[in-house]
Amino acid sequence: MPNRFFQNIKRQEWYEQQIEHIEEIPAREPRYGKLDRPLPDTLQGYLDREGIQLYSHQADAINSIRRGKNVIITTPTASGKTIAFNIPVFEALLKDEDATALYIYPTKALTNDQLHVLRTMERRMGIRPISNVYDGDTPQHARQGIRRASRIILSNPYGLHQYIPWHHKWKSFFQHLKFIIIDEAHMYRGVFGSNVAMLVRRILRICEYYGSNPQFILSSATIANPEEHSRKLTGRDFVVISNDGSIRERKFFIFWNPPFIDIGKMVRRSPHQETKNLFVFHIKNRLQTICFTVSRQMAELITRWSRDELGNVRDRITTYRAGYLPGERRDIERRLRVRELLGVVSTNALELGIDIGSLDAVIISGYPGTIISTWQQAGRAGRGYKDSLVTLIAFEDPLDQYFMKHPDEFFGRPHEYAIIDLENPYIVMGHLICASAELPVKEEDEKYFNLFEESLMALEQQDMVRKTPNGWIYSGIARPVDIVNLNNISDKIVTIINDGKILETMDLPKAYDEAHRGAVLLHQGETYLVEDLDLENLTARAIRRDVDYYTEPRRTVSIRIINTEAHQERGMGIDIDVGEVEVTEWYHSYVLKTYDRVIGKQPLGLPPLNFQTVGMWITIPGDIEEKVRERGLDFEGGIHAIEHAMIAMTPLYAMCDRWDVGGISSPMHADTQKPTIFIYDSYEGGIGISERIYDLFERLLNATLRLIQDCGCDKGCPSCIYSPKCGNENRPLNKEAAIFILREIIDNIRLD
Amino acid sequence: MLDHIAKRLKDKAGRIREYEVIETGDGDMEMGRAGGFMPTHIYGPEYEHAMRLKEQLLQEYRDKSLEEVIPGETISNDRGTCYYIQHKHDISIQKADLEKSRQVICSNLKLIYGIGEVRERELKQQGYHTIDDLVRHPRWRDEAGKFLDTFESRNAGTLHDLLWRRLPRSDPLLLYLAGIYDKNDLIMFDIETMGLFGRPIILLGIARQKRRRINTYQYLLRDIPDEPGALWEFVSHIEENTALITFNGRSFDIPYVEERLGFYGLNASIEKPHFDVLHFARRAFRGRVPDCRLVTLERYLLGIERKDDVPGVLVPEFYETYLKTRNPGLLIPIIEHNRQDLITLSRLFSRLYDVWEDA
Repeated sequence: MPNRFFQNIKRQEWYEQQIEHIEEIPAREPRYGKLDRPLPDTLQGYLDREGIQLYSHQADAINSIRRGKNVIITTPTASGKTIAFNIPVFEALLKDEDATALYIYPTKALTNDQLHVLRTMERRMGIRPISNVYDGDTPQHARQGIRRASRIILSNPYGLHQYIPWHHKWKSFFQHLKFIIIDEAHMYRGVFGSNVAMLVRRILRICEYYGSNPQFILSSATIANPEEHSRKLTGRDFVVISNDGSIRERKFFIFWNPPFIDIGKMVRRSPHQETKNLFVFHIKNRLQTICFTVSRQMAELITRWSRDELGNVRDRITTYRAGYLPGERRDIERRLRVRELLGVVSTNALELGIDIGSLDAVIISGYPGTIISTWQQAGRAGRGYKDSLVTLIAFEDPLDQYFMKHPDEFFGRPHEYAIIDLENPYIVMGHLICASAELPVKEEDEKYFNLFEESLMALEQQDMVRKTPNGWIYSGIARPVDIVNLNNISDKIVTIINDGKILETMDLPKAYDEAHRGAVLLHQGETYLVEDLDLENLTARAIRRDVDYYTEPRRTVSIRIINTEAHQERGMGIDIDVGEVEVTEWYHSYVLKTYDRVIGKQPLGLPPLNFQTVGMWITIPGDIEEKVRERGLDFEGGIHAIEHAMIAMTPLYAMCDRWDVGGISSPMHADTQKPTIFIYDSYEGGIGISERIYDLFERLLNATLRLIQDCGCDKGCPSCIYSPKCGNENRPLNKEAAIFILREIIDNIRLD
Repeated sequence: MLDHIAKRLKDKAGRIREYEVIETGDGDMEMGRAGGFMPTHIYGPEYEHAMRLKEQLLQEYRDKSLEEVIPGETISNDRGTCYYIQHKHDISIQKADLEKSRQVICSNLKLIYGIGEVRERELKQQGYHTIDDLVRHPRWRDEAGKFLDTFESRNAGTLHDLLWRRLPRSDPLLLYLAGIYDKNDLIMFDIETMGLFGRPIILLGIARQKRRRINTYQYLLRDIPDEPGALWEFVSHIEENTALITFNGRSFDIPYVEERLGFYGLNASIEKPHFDVLHFARRAFRGRVPDCRLVTLERYLLGIERKDDVPGVLVPEFYETYLKTRNPGLLIPIIEHNRQDLITLSRLFSRLYDVWEDA
């Protein structure tokens, strides 16, 4: 297949050297493992009947779990992670009649999927059902029974947050809790992850109270820091199981870059065109393909354009989006299975649980934001017995373009760090008050909460907790679980309402970004227009609207250093610091853009946003500035460009969006009295990103240099130094100066 | 910075009001809502009145001590301390006696597993009017015998369970179960709290019949550390044969007390047979009253108008102000409100019995 296929592509009239790279991921024979001791007959019989032979990583996991270790399994999707934890859990629960287990999933859909898996196992093993979901959808009348009689409970963090204050109703479940299983653990990062980490500590505290000490089993996509992440999420130490022994078919991964269409080499052809061309080509070659796009609108458009070119197979493709009725979904699934449907175009928000099986090929239109998501989407291709094909089509975005030029960064060791911050005082204090309403807080609880003493004192001052002979108990006027929201940090949360229903909630700063009046909001692949942002009531009104443009706010930033937490002098007057900063952001206007051009601009009358957070900054010595000016280059343009590019590259290291951080560059900053580039967390109190960047800044600088240096443009473009958020209309920006300054810094740091 | 965050958390808590102030013109009555027993809203005029009352009390009782203003005493037990207030009242509970309750309950053949509407009618036509009669029936004699044994054993718990399972919550028959208890086994209780769960109970009130009069025993938190002591006093009333009577206790008072007991690790349970007057009242008085709030039933059925009452939803605020100012005047309406709730509860319980007797 492959060579002929690639040759055919190259013969197409729309082919203009778009293929930047083809990675051949070789097929691999499975490696099987051996258990330290055999499984009980019920379980071994089950495996035999299902034709399952344990891969090495599954056996390793089971062996470690049996030894009482906390385990995190980071092998790829479809490597059989679920078996790796269900088997030892069932073994333990069959041996000890009282033992219980808690399975945590990030969404209800995933919880339901896993219930299905467990029930099937129970049925096929011939044991009584012991698993149940307990969440917002569980009917009232069934709840008591489930609490009392279920041995495996599946739930999600939002539900658990509400249920654990009622822990006395779960007494016997907690007393005998032997395992806590956290699946999709990489999703617990950033604000949500930090909140869930605190929730886990509250649960452990309750377990301690009831005398149990559960073992953790985590399952995660591949991240750069599995030990750290698992430790931060739970407070425990883990064994990492990462050597995948599962069978793998050969996979070809194409990196496809739309060609330049202007002479100045700044604008590329629309990736949507490219997507359509490739999709049509796949279908004509009878490759059953799923195509992931950035929005429902795009999905509809691509489907429509493709149909125009598919002649008599035009009816064998369809769009797929969230919000289909179960009946409609099952129909699509069926038609795919019998090869009636050859192609599906979907948004990136394809529910993970959907059973569309595996296809011949995947097209990913636009880098999904994380390497993990990219692999998860790529994982949809591959039937296990023949070659499969994945194509990533780059947008005009720094990360997309960076990978195009440096595919080794994508295919090499994992870079992305999942970040959890256990020290954001907003988050910690919020969960501390929740804890104080669950059980009186005692001195020993210090092990669960950072900033313990100071937080309690501050809370006591505000009459939120009272110190009593029994411990600190909650005395505030609202229920703590109503005050603390797992997706947000601050108390200023904006609720976005569509058609009388809550669409989503977001912190105020994010609302300034995404939900200002006139903003186009993307939610689960659908576009909405924000009609109004009411700052007093903290609500925004949005209407569903199909629009063909998107909006970007423009803001200017000023920053003040409050204190320095850590400091490095890297020679030649180059200083790197991290600490608390105060940020003020003025959102003064927003632009309307279609894919390739600005079609309008509107003013924004929003009051300045002012908050304290954590940031890192680099000061650049006068010598370097002089050298730049001597060469007639624009120094200010250079540091400004570096700031933009660093922010664009940050997600490569700290799993976040580029919107999770902000930055500012100044040729003479008031606090440092030197040229300085700042990068700060866009979240009050910080969320750990800047701190991570501070630790990794050399790597970030190097990647930033590579990005700018290797970009095919002449003087800078949206793929390297232009930022969509720049409040100064992306001026001044100077590519040459940026490269020079970065080289100077990197060389001098190496000298040290 | 932490102080700043603590303040923000507190402000946020303040914005989450657990009730709504409805500005209607003149506080006209709400239409009977299906679930409208949990006061989650308050009318403009009521709210204004309560705020004025708060001001008055703050003025009048400034610089006074708790003991001066509210007669009672500080008591202590293994778990702590609290403030104890007792009153005697010249009313007593009316209820079915054992004979009566047996008679009424046993004439309901549907209580036997396997007998539904149709079969009951048939059997009654055949001359089997009571469960005692069924002992003669070849098919039902065993079941009937078992039922009567349970009744004889006066095992309130088992009987209660049996009936709870077969009957709707509001069935009058459940009220007749009260007949198997002695009057002083019946404990009426009502709590005042700092909000809707997750926060301390600030007052536990009990009413019990002693000889021919109803006594109220109220356990107040002088301050939050008194909570375990007050809970323990409450729990000490619960005995083997206790049955509880509440108004909406099923959704509120009982789970609330259990939650707080669990919170302090006080190894006690209040899982006893329970009569929730709200459910009975809804069934008995539907159509005769605009809604089933306790104060409404009180007004319409007992002719009582409370003066200077603090509405239930505002109790947390009054208590908060007390904690901040230490002005015991704020406690007066809370204690009074609770006491009146207990009295009304007793009287409604008795009234229900009358109503169903007459029916």
